[in-house]
Amino acid sequence: MRWFRFAVLLSLVTVLQASVLASLNIRPDLPLILLVFFAIYCNTHDAIITSFTIGFAADIIGYTMGPQIISFGILGTSLAYLHRLIVIRKMPYQALAIFVTGLLAGALTYILTFLKGQPTAANLYAVLFGTPLYSAIAGPFLFLPLAWWMRIKKRKA
Amino acid sequence: MARMQIRISRRMLFTWFMLTGFILLLAPQELTNKCQLAFAHIFRWPLSIGRGVSLSARSPQPFTDLVPRREYNKLQNHLANLEARLRQQHQKLEKLSKLRNRFAMEGAKVVLADVTTAAINELHSQLIINRGKDDGLDTGQFVLGDNGIIGRISEVSSRTARVRLITDPTSKIAVKIAGLNVNRLMQGAGSNSAGIPYLDIRHKVEIGNVVYADKEPGFLDAPMIIGKVAQCKRGNENPSVWDITIEPVCDIEGLKDVAIIIMNPQE
Repeated sequence: MRWFRFAVLLSLVTVLQASVLASLNIRPDLPLILLVFFAIYCNTHDAIITSFTIGFAADIIGYTMGPQIISFGILGTSLAYLHRLIVIRKMPYQALAIFVTGLLAGALTYILTFLKGQPTAANLYAVLFGTPLYSAIAGPFLFLPLAWWMRIKKRKA
Repeated sequence: MARMQIRISRRMLFTWFMLTGFILLLAPQELTNKCQLAFAHIFRWPLSIGRGVSLSARSPQPFTDLVPRREYNKLQNHLANLEARLRQQHQKLEKLSKLRNRFAMEGAKVVLADVTTAAINELHSQLIINRGKDDGLDTGQFVLGDNGIIGRISEVSSRTARVRLITDPTSKIAVKIAGLNVNRLMQGAGSNSAGIPYLDIRHKVEIGNVVYADKEPGFLDAPMIIGKVAQCKRGNENPSVWDITIEPVCDIEGLKDVAIIIMNPQE
């Protein structure tokens, strides 16, 4: 794992998500795409570290600290373990993985935010389904440049 | 044995990270907000550039021979503020004509700040600006955009501050509707709007009526324009009250800079 490249990539993604994409109504969740990418293409040990780190970055640009580091950490780790049993290489499967991970991460984040006593989204379905859907559509196409940047070899299924 | 060690290491790693997550989750919001403001301060340049790119992509091409709508609205807001101030001065003059009076907003300082990031959606409506305690900012101070009130400072660090917009669901500001002599609380509704619930239906409210933020000692000396009535309908639960929707007087998402009113500057 090239950690310096990972740090640069995560900083870039965090800034993009907080600035360029923040004002868009329809926007993919770049940290979520990154989470699934590293869970699929890294070993389990690295996937755990990257999942929690990406979750921390998502919290930094979010509204409250804690919910996303936990939800991203749990789901990224679970996906990394799942990937040891099921190979997720084809684009439709990758899209499905992003959608399901986004859905579950959104639900867990919502519950944790609610438990923390912070305001939660009034339109829950739009938050839970919209962002994961857009991420699932855009995500697999971003995997190629991400793999190139991280010098990860993508093997064909 | 080596494999066993790696497995334990993963578990430990996961456990420690989870522990960190729960500490962050349970830590006081004021403490964790400092991390977020620190990020906004460290990355203020790339964040501003990114926001600039986003704004330039959505803003229409300006016409050279016409007054831009934003400029027109800005002047209209200024006019409304002056009218409100004048009205207040007239009232005071009538009541206290024998006493020496201080003009509204006299001695107040206005600090200009650039918008670093803006997050406006149903859940939250907030701005991060590049001024903080070092510039005299403090929580509760009113923030102006295009001469209209757009929010209040909710958190402040040494060089960065967070503005809770009037449209944020947690925002509550005392307001007055022009022509009505009643004080109400305006609550943010997300999605670039706010609302005034439970106003008695006997009051005559029309679409387009100007809404003023009420004066607040130490924060605002005179009423200032905060929004306009966008919708006025009978309450769903109680038809004897108005359910009023207020829209801000400027395009908050498109703002590049804001002004903060400091009523009692520490010189």
